[in-house]
Amino acid sequence: MSEALQSLFVLGSTHHEAPLEVRERMALTPEKAAALQQELHARDDIRECLVVNTCNRVEVYGLASAPNVEATIRDHLCACNGVSRELLDAHSTWHTNLDVLQHAFEVSSGLDSQMVGETDILGQMKTAYADARAAKCTGIVLNRLFEKSFQAAKSARTQTGITRGQVSIGNVAVDLANRIFGHLRDSRVLLIGSGDVAEKTAQSLKSRGVADITVASRTYENAHALAHSLGGAAIELSDFAAQLKRFDIVISSTAAPGMLLDRDMIATALKQRPDRPFFLIDVALPRDIDPAVDTLENVYLYNLDDLSSIANENLELRKAEIARARTILKGHAWNLWLQLRRRTMMAAK
Amino acid sequence: MLEEIALTAREAIAIGTSIYLSAFLFGVLMIVLRKPYPRAAMFALLTGGFIFQTLGLNLRGAEIKGCPLGNIFEISQFIAWSLVLLYFIIGPAFRLRLLGLFTAGLAGLLCSTALLVRAWDTPYPAGIFGGNPWIELHAALAMFSYAMFAIVALVSVMFLIQQHGLKKKQFKGVYQYLPSVQQLDLMAKRLLITGVLVLSAALIFGAVFWVNHPERVPVFKLSATCLVWAGYLTVVVLRIQKKLVTRRHAIACIGLFLFALASLWPVQSASDTARTDEPSDHQASE
Repeated sequence: MSEALQSLFVLGSTHHEAPLEVRERMALTPEKAAALQQELHARDDIRECLVVNTCNRVEVYGLASAPNVEATIRDHLCACNGVSRELLDAHSTWHTNLDVLQHAFEVSSGLDSQMVGETDILGQMKTAYADARAAKCTGIVLNRLFEKSFQAAKSARTQTGITRGQVSIGNVAVDLANRIFGHLRDSRVLLIGSGDVAEKTAQSLKSRGVADITVASRTYENAHALAHSLGGAAIELSDFAAQLKRFDIVISSTAAPGMLLDRDMIATALKQRPDRPFFLIDVALPRDIDPAVDTLENVYLYNLDDLSSIANENLELRKAEIARARTILKGHAWNLWLQLRRRTMMAAK
Repeated sequence: MLEEIALTAREAIAIGTSIYLSAFLFGVLMIVLRKPYPRAAMFALLTGGFIFQTLGLNLRGAEIKGCPLGNIFEISQFIAWSLVLLYFIIGPAFRLRLLGLFTAGLAGLLCSTALLVRAWDTPYPAGIFGGNPWIELHAALAMFSYAMFAIVALVSVMFLIQQHGLKKKQFKGVYQYLPSVQQLDLMAKRLLITGVLVLSAALIFGAVFWVNHPERVPVFKLSATCLVWAGYLTVVVLRIQKKLVTRRHAIACIGLFLFALASLWPVQSASDTARTDEPSDHQASE
């Protein structure tokens, strides 16, 4: 076990290393992420394994029983998402041992997030951990690591002001919609897909007066359920293109592998309403809306990176709090490291 | 009562101009320093500038015994005055953020340029409109429509700035204070239609005078005015048909206003020449 502890690792490709165009190629479907986790765990040289897969990060946490597993993990990830080794190597990081603990704690507390201090990531980490545990891919070390990371995240948030003044994507979208339309009571919103970020953005818009929300999803039942919760209507995914001209704000968050909205579709809709602007919010990864759409007159396209950079504009004000949180997390990481070492030494005796 | 005031018309106008420029610089400073936009202070400063400018124009009107629209200096002052008056009507009603700042800037620029270029304030005989109230109404309405086109140009500039910010994903600074692109676009459309209606009315009154005294209206002045009117009418028609919208509409409005402004000087020169060519007729009307 002592040797195994020396082989704690995390391979990650996140918004720090990879731009949006690369991240959308790295992205895994939930099924592929689960398959990768199982595949790695089935190997003799990997004792424990957990894959965190969100819109801004693909990370493989693990405990190896052999020292040189990095190349193996990288090859498996490339085979799973279909990218080349060169691309992965250029846009990823590899941490081991104590650095893994510090990294996991910073991810859970939102310090490593694109929108620093956001709280959604904690839920995503908890889900990834629950799934991996249910699949019996985790063991003593990763269980301890993730449970402690959730506690550390909580204490960093309560003891510092990292979440204070934090702006959500929904709030940024509302501010942008106000800069485009003025008041929102006459604006019609189309939600394509039922992603979490899109749902929250739609809720923010609704709270600021948007009365007409329509949901289009691959599964009509999902669309109907979300539309019901938002007080709107549901349409078939195949119908949304024909009705595009009716909407002012389009929020897209599907897991579709290709583009759903291209330049021609938007240009056609725009011709039928040339004096009304289009506000397109693409929070999907891979992206749903062709970036070339932004070259059209009276169309305003914002993707995840754009919204996050706007949300982080007040980051300077929180720099001191972020440094304090990092110090707190370092203490927690060091304590856990000592605990794990002590346990392994006692187990060895 | 006006005789008792210890200020000349130019002095009063100069004070008004200084207040407009101070308002503009104060507004810019607040934005640069990222302080809350001083809407009330801006309104108060514009009111102060407007009072002094009104006083100056009244003093000038008393001197020339008529509407002070006889030279480029007075025309510029009248356009700036009408522009600020329009701001007082439109600003509070539609709550267009930063319109006060842009109005103060343009009014300050027009007034200060007119004050600095001495040649624009050429003397002319009193009663140039020959005591004809219709032609005075024509001139006043025409200048008021130009003020409307000035505010349309300002709103268009604000639209282009806001659109640039949205396209370039800029969030801070002036962008956060500007009204929405849709509000600005709609406002420009409404003001443009009103401006064209006012200019059309001015041209109808002018046409009555022209029919009776064709020799008193220079062909160049008539052509330039009709060209400006036709240009604005074309933009309005295309806007209503939704063929000229948003960015291109804003650029057309700014371009047309610059053309209208630039045409004032040759038009006025042509009028001056026409006046000097017919001194006997003009003197007779005094």
